[in-house]
Amino acid sequence: MKLFKKTDILIIAAIIVSAMAIWYLYSNTVSGRPVRAEIYYWSDLVEAVELVPGQEMTFSIPQDEDVVFHVDKDGSIRFIQSDCPDKVCIRTGRIHLAGQSAACLPNGIVVKIVPTDGWKEGDPDIVIGSSGEQ
Amino acid sequence: MADKKINGILNHPAKMDAAGEDSRSTRSIALTGMIFALALILSVVENSFPPLPLPVPGVKFGLSNIAVMYALFFLSKGQAYSIAVLKSLFVAMTRGMIAGILSLSGGILSLTVMLILMVLFRDKASYAVISISGAIAHNLGQFVAISFIYTGMYLWAYLPVLLISGVGAGIVTALLLKFIIPAFERLRK
Repeated sequence: MKLFKKTDILIIAAIIVSAMAIWYLYSNTVSGRPVRAEIYYWSDLVEAVELVPGQEMTFSIPQDEDVVFHVDKDGSIRFIQSDCPDKVCIRTGRIHLAGQSAACLPNGIVVKIVPTDGWKEGDPDIVIGSSGEQ
Repeated sequence: MADKKINGILNHPAKMDAAGEDSRSTRSIALTGMIFALALILSVVENSFPPLPLPVPGVKFGLSNIAVMYALFFLSKGQAYSIAVLKSLFVAMTRGMIAGILSLSGGILSLTVMLILMVLFRDKASYAVISISGAIAHNLGQFVAISFIYTGMYLWAYLPVLLISGVGAGIVTALLLKFIIPAFERLRK
């Protein structure tokens, strides 16, 4: 078996092009849609915040006061403080598009952006392990 | 090239005496252990680097998969699965149960996809393509596990990231495997 073959370039290009196509279709489908942020604590929905541009707030959930969220004026939400070791949640940064999420796995917290009016018929609808919120 | 050498070692006539089977299985257990040890070293090395400066956090090369890939390509699928499972147990012991489950779901799916591709395409596929497919499968396996443990996540938003980081990690691990093969070969002597 060879390390690389010439045809590999085609395969790699195809993967990258389809990744870009998926991203384009996805962001076109969801951009501009009113959204809310749902905060899950070990798969239980514990908090939901409408993300309306112009409002600003900082809060945490009673289940874990060490994790702090911030909603920005531009209608995005992010983790700003957490006691987890890797800080992946904070480095995820702002999220605002329906379908995006940010997770602090060690603390069991996931912030998920969902359309305010729910996912509609005709939306690309792969939500794995969905807990029935569709 | 390396395949021939391996067959030479395993099927050497001098080893096929009465004690042949025993000494071969002892050898293979010892070798699996050594390659598992290498997997642990590779993951310690990787974790000592600062996180990759990427827009998406949490993306890693998965260097320890090099050991699993070596076992799959040059030893047997049994040894490859053993190393993948041992690796996840080690992750579970050092970084907790959830990290262990993620490692196991990614590792098993990745190995299974690579194995299927090897059976289907044999020498027609390159190490790079198999390694890339394995890395993408690893990402998908972890994504599915995270979705089940935490909350359902929207795959379309993440598929591009899973695909592109899989391509990057797959190429890096295939290249490193190429460089590391001689070191693995020394273990077998």
